[in-house]
Amino acid sequence: MTFTRPRRLWRTVAALTAALTLSAGCAASGTGGGAAQGNGKKQEGGDVTFLIDSLGDTWIPNNSSISSFQGHIWGHVADKLVYVDENGEVSPWVAESWEQNDDATEFTLHLKDGVTFSDGSPVDADAVVANLDIWADGRPDDGINPIGLFPATYESAKAVDPLTVQVSFNAPTLGFIPTLGYHGSILLSPKTLALPAEEQADLSNDIGSGPFTVASWKEGDSVVLEKRDDYDWGPEALDHEGPATLDTLTYKLVAEPSVRTAAVQSGQAQVAYNPSPQELGPFKEQGYTVAAPRYLGFVNGFALNTQVAPFDDVRVRQAVQKGIDREQILDTVYTSDWLPAESFIQSNVPGATDHSDQLAFDPKAAAALLDEAGWTEGADGIRTKGGKPLALTLYPNPYLATSKSVDELVAQQLGDLGFDVDIQAYDVVTYGEKVAVGNPSVPAYEITRSFIDAGTVAGILTDTNGGEDWFNVGQSDPKLTELGNQVASSVSTEERAPVLDELQGYVLDQAYFVPLTQIVQRLYLQSPKLKGVTYNGVAYANYYTAYLEG
Amino acid sequence: MTVTRTSRGARLASRAYVAYAAQRTAQAVAVVLLAYCFTFLVISVLPGDPVTATLRNPQNNFTEEEVQRIIAYYGLDRPVWVQLWEALSRFVQGDLGLSLRSNLPVTRLIGDVLDSTLVLAGSALVVAMVLAFAIAYGTRNAPTPVAKVLRAFPSLFLSVPSFVIGLLLINVFAFQLGLFQVIDSEGPAATFFAAVALGIPVSAQVAEVLITNLDHEARQEYAGFATSRGLSRSRLFWRHLLKPSSLPVVTVVALTVGELLGGALITETIFGRTGIGSLVQRSVTTQDLPVLQAVVVLAAVVFVVVNLVVDLIYPLLDPRVDLRGATRRVRPVSDLEPLEQGAAA
Repeated sequence: MTFTRPRRLWRTVAALTAALTLSAGCAASGTGGGAAQGNGKKQEGGDVTFLIDSLGDTWIPNNSSISSFQGHIWGHVADKLVYVDENGEVSPWVAESWEQNDDATEFTLHLKDGVTFSDGSPVDADAVVANLDIWADGRPDDGINPIGLFPATYESAKAVDPLTVQVSFNAPTLGFIPTLGYHGSILLSPKTLALPAEEQADLSNDIGSGPFTVASWKEGDSVVLEKRDDYDWGPEALDHEGPATLDTLTYKLVAEPSVRTAAVQSGQAQVAYNPSPQELGPFKEQGYTVAAPRYLGFVNGFALNTQVAPFDDVRVRQAVQKGIDREQILDTVYTSDWLPAESFIQSNVPGATDHSDQLAFDPKAAAALLDEAGWTEGADGIRTKGGKPLALTLYPNPYLATSKSVDELVAQQLGDLGFDVDIQAYDVVTYGEKVAVGNPSVPAYEITRSFIDAGTVAGILTDTNGGEDWFNVGQSDPKLTELGNQVASSVSTEERAPVLDELQGYVLDQAYFVPLTQIVQRLYLQSPKLKGVTYNGVAYANYYTAYLEG
Repeated sequence: MTVTRTSRGARLASRAYVAYAAQRTAQAVAVVLLAYCFTFLVISVLPGDPVTATLRNPQNNFTEEEVQRIIAYYGLDRPVWVQLWEALSRFVQGDLGLSLRSNLPVTRLIGDVLDSTLVLAGSALVVAMVLAFAIAYGTRNAPTPVAKVLRAFPSLFLSVPSFVIGLLLINVFAFQLGLFQVIDSEGPAATFFAAVALGIPVSAQVAEVLITNLDHEARQEYAGFATSRGLSRSRLFWRHLLKPSSLPVVTVVALTVGELLGGALITETIFGRTGIGSLVQRSVTTQDLPVLQAVVVLAAVVFVVVNLVVDLIYPLLDPRVDLRGATRRVRPVSDLEPLEQGAAA
């Protein structure tokens, strides 16, 4: 059948498209020269077309809200209880204020009055309870997933009065309030939440209280949003009142990156999502806006498996930590919009501290550590110990487009140190099957992940309380376990800050985690006529505040 | 008596036709069911499934118990043969199931995009026919050097893949001349150029058959006679050569249906259109089995129906086709004769 034609054809098609559109782009820039700048006058209304590389799979809210694709639409159709800006600062939104008890196990949320879903029903305490319940538990037996990263300590929520919600946890959960601003925590009408999965999967049935509503959508093609005229409860932090300025927002799928950028260049669209970083230089010179917001979360890096050779030896791990030239990665694979890692969490996370000195490139020290560990260099440049070569297999993260190029550089750098590095690249499906944290054949697990609150870190360090145990240490490292427990049980951010700092230093020193770079997972190329765009803590562009210039 | 015999004969003939139709239909149903099962088995042997890949994305951070419950919701925890049996029992009741990728009913997904593909395929067919007939007309009526060049067109069209034609059209007409927008992929202008990209290779096959038959007919005595009576070339073409030469085109058109559907996959992806082709592409990359099965069944149904329709309309177009012969092939003469003899006696 036609659909089983080999991938090679698709690659040829993609390559040809790229070549042709690039040639068209060059022709256009040769004659046009420079971007069409706005005249500085703010337009009322207007339509923005956002070209996106995929519209993801399903539209079941719980299953799609944290997607890099559908998340854009959810951010405009639905509101959240709190707003978290790109520096992790939490401020009121649908929740006007909140309190917590002394041990951070009980929270009380006070809701704004007069907020309504687009079907007219109120966003009241009952609606919020229904949302909290489904975020925490989902309905797995009905195909509705829980929200990834919602605190596992959640016990229950109850409506005290129409505008007050009380939420209980079975352990201190400082991360609860920030998590309410996480992209997964979108408020939807209880009527929507009660629908079966296949009806929730129809975007037209998903009713939110956001500044835009779904005007039309076509599966795998486009979503058209139009502004809600009676919207008047945007986040205070955004400095914009009343309804959105733009009339419509169209998210249109265009799979080929160079076609997306060429369309913005020719004025057929205003935003191209996820352009190739290498393509952006000329656009910047012509006055286009390149936005590279960072999400709050873990940087991109390797979680090393401490139970398998050669990483069962701390000296070998430390050699890798010192043997990677992070600056070269930034210069080669990325643009100046990417920042060097300062810790294993992004530097905009409240509580992240600067540990750059621990991540300095020092090949001599790295080689000395390997010598000390007994790995001696052979004639072919590969180190061996007891006849065994210092072999390492890297598995590029298929969810991250630049991962393979980064791994190739790392392989080269570690190769210079005497490692025999092999790169095994899998597609998403095969990767899911073969590569996992703690798998004995996966010595280095490449990972990055967004989170809202630094407390999340406690959940990945060890296997305490069902922790993810990224480094496969179990509870064999008492200091790590202790630091993790202290972070988890903190009842205030002030109390937590010094512990977090110590923890970051310790994890990097033991080289449990080897950071590569801070991560920009959402990249935007934007027409210079589009202004006022804001980016939240998970790096989604928000067009509630945006406007076009004439 | 004669009247009785005739009506009885007609009844027998119609009974034979019913048997013939039933046999053909049964064959068609078997083809469709086999296609359904075959697709299921082929995709089942591939590693992984769409659901697990998403659930295990580290960003989700689900517990193993949650993952297992969700997989159970999709029925993917059961043995392959149980899944196949359930899918098959649903299918025979007309239920194509839910897409694993989008959670939407498969009938809805296909219904949403079918019109777009039909418009594209239909327009491509029109483009192909117009082009083919224009080329064929040119080969007989244009001055010899031009006609010679035109005769080379079909082989040229056949040897250039439709995706190359598509990319050239986008580059020239969308980016250089700005005649259509890549964003408005379903608009009339974009549809026209997509149809041209898809129609050109198809036109080549039609034109080749048409030219060969025109040449054949032109060598016939009646054509020479008509020319000797002073009929102009173009009049000879329209009045005498065209109709007999066009008959085989019907068969070729039936054969190109597959090409139009298959080509739509590539053309739709290149032009950014929605349609069966792009739906298949998304479903293949995510192993969305129910959608793929439904599309294969749809393709099988289209083939069967088109071939049946061609079989049925051919005798209407060409009186030389012996219908009785066609029926006899299906129903042996020996079955029919004793009855007829009995009736005669």
